[in-house]
Amino acid sequence: MARKIIKYLLLTAVIGLLAYKSVFIIKLSELQVIEPKAFDAPAFTQQLWDTKLPAKLDSALTLDALQAELKANPGRAFETYFNSMSIGNVQYTLVKVTGKVLSVNEDDVVLLTGARDAQRTVKIATEYVYGNAIRDASRLVKIKDFVNTTDLNKISEELNKRVRTKVLPAFKGTVQKGDSVDCTGAIGLNQAHYSLDGLEILPVQCKIIQQ
Amino acid sequence: MIAIQKNNALNLARLQSLIAMVVLCIIIAIMSDKFLTMDNGWNVLRQISVNICISVGMTLIVLTAGIDLSVGSVLALCGAITAGLLKNGIKLPTLDLFIGFTLLGSLLAGIIAGGALGLFNGFVITKFKVPPFVSTLAMLTIARGLTMLWTQGHPISNLGPAFSTIGTGWMLGIPVPVWIAGVVVLLAIFITRQTRLGRYIYAIGGNENAAILSGISINKVKLIVYGIAGALAAVGGIMVTSRLDSAQPNAGTGYELDAIAAVVIGGTSLSGGKGSIGGTVMGAVIIGVLNNGLVLLNVSPFWQQVVKGAVILIAVIIDKGGKKK
Repeated sequence: MARKIIKYLLLTAVIGLLAYKSVFIIKLSELQVIEPKAFDAPAFTQQLWDTKLPAKLDSALTLDALQAELKANPGRAFETYFNSMSIGNVQYTLVKVTGKVLSVNEDDVVLLTGARDAQRTVKIATEYVYGNAIRDASRLVKIKDFVNTTDLNKISEELNKRVRTKVLPAFKGTVQKGDSVDCTGAIGLNQAHYSLDGLEILPVQCKIIQQ
Repeated sequence: MIAIQKNNALNLARLQSLIAMVVLCIIIAIMSDKFLTMDNGWNVLRQISVNICISVGMTLIVLTAGIDLSVGSVLALCGAITAGLLKNGIKLPTLDLFIGFTLLGSLLAGIIAGGALGLFNGFVITKFKVPPFVSTLAMLTIARGLTMLWTQGHPISNLGPAFSTIGTGWMLGIPVPVWIAGVVVLLAIFITRQTRLGRYIYAIGGNENAAILSGISINKVKLIVYGIAGALAAVGGIMVTSRLDSAQPNAGTGYELDAIAAVVIGGTSLSGGKGSIGGTVMGAVIIGVLNNGLVLLNVSPFWQQVVKGAVILIAVIIDKGGKKK
């Protein structure tokens, strides 16, 4: 009997010690003072959109200029103009295109763009705007400034949401076949085997310049 | 003379996993010069440590003629619980309290959660006589759902350097996960060979009715065995989480199949009563070496699955052939 009591006492002591070393309890109100504020993705993106992104859109290369850069020195062109935070060959950049609307489809608008002797078609995505293309192409977000990927992904979500809710509705609602359109947006190219044919642009800015 | 022949056959059966592994290593070493390097060796050992932990628990279950399909999901849930408690603790706004967890506390909580889930499996199997395949299949889904709820579908990352040491650190020139797997294996060998529980496990798997008639409390033994397997899955979950420095909601998917494969390749009979922890370790090493070799040889991931499946099939056929003799 005595041995049993000692056994249980020892067991209780060990459990008590483990519990003491395992948890600590403090007042939640005290903790909230110490705890850093959670990342406010909408506010961060709003500031990015209003203050830094316009300059990047202005300085974006035209598709023809980008093609010339890629032809001259692909390595340098990718290094200078493209960016990606992910592992893989796909890199993103912002481009400007001006062209005539060939067709208005459910998911995209097809433009005919480029000089008369080097014309090509590009698609402007008007339905599915997802992924990190716009964030990475803007080159405004640095991975080292963030402690986790969730916050980084939230920036993409917010940027895409802004395009879907603020840029596209007005454009989609008015654009028609034959219109002249000015659009700046993000494209993704595979560094290993890139082609500017059949490009899809995730728009950030779209204007109808002539109806 | 017949006795000597039988003894030789038994020794050969015991050695077949080892022979298979040596042959496999020779073939891969001939085909890839990167295989027999120290770095790759440590890499393989580090990778198989998680499978060894899960497989050891699975072996105990299979020895009782049971199976546990939930270990992969339990691994994910326990990894997430450990990471969540370590990083966020528990907030009780109504009581204005925050319960924080130290590294020790979060590790214990993860392992206890794993043990509790295993015990629940055992409880359902013994109390309601639900076949282990069905009850653990249900737990597979439940635990995965709970993981999604706990993590809200997002990874829990940045768990600190101390926690990372468990999965990526070194101790006395050997990776920490290898130490952990070694301790788990030694404890399991001790339990199966030197304790009453070990003898009961073999007895239940060999002949459950005879075990009942011998006065063995089979329900109690099964509860303990499923509890141990759950706790070991949690240990695996902690190792995976630590290695990635992140608890992934979809971690451990398919791990149960690797564990069962290690057990089967290691010579443990799926009908229970026959097998050993050493065999399972060898099975896990074979799978690890095979995975590593196929990657080094640039074999497509799709073919890797086919090859792995074929190896398991061959192991079972050889095992069946050996028993017929």
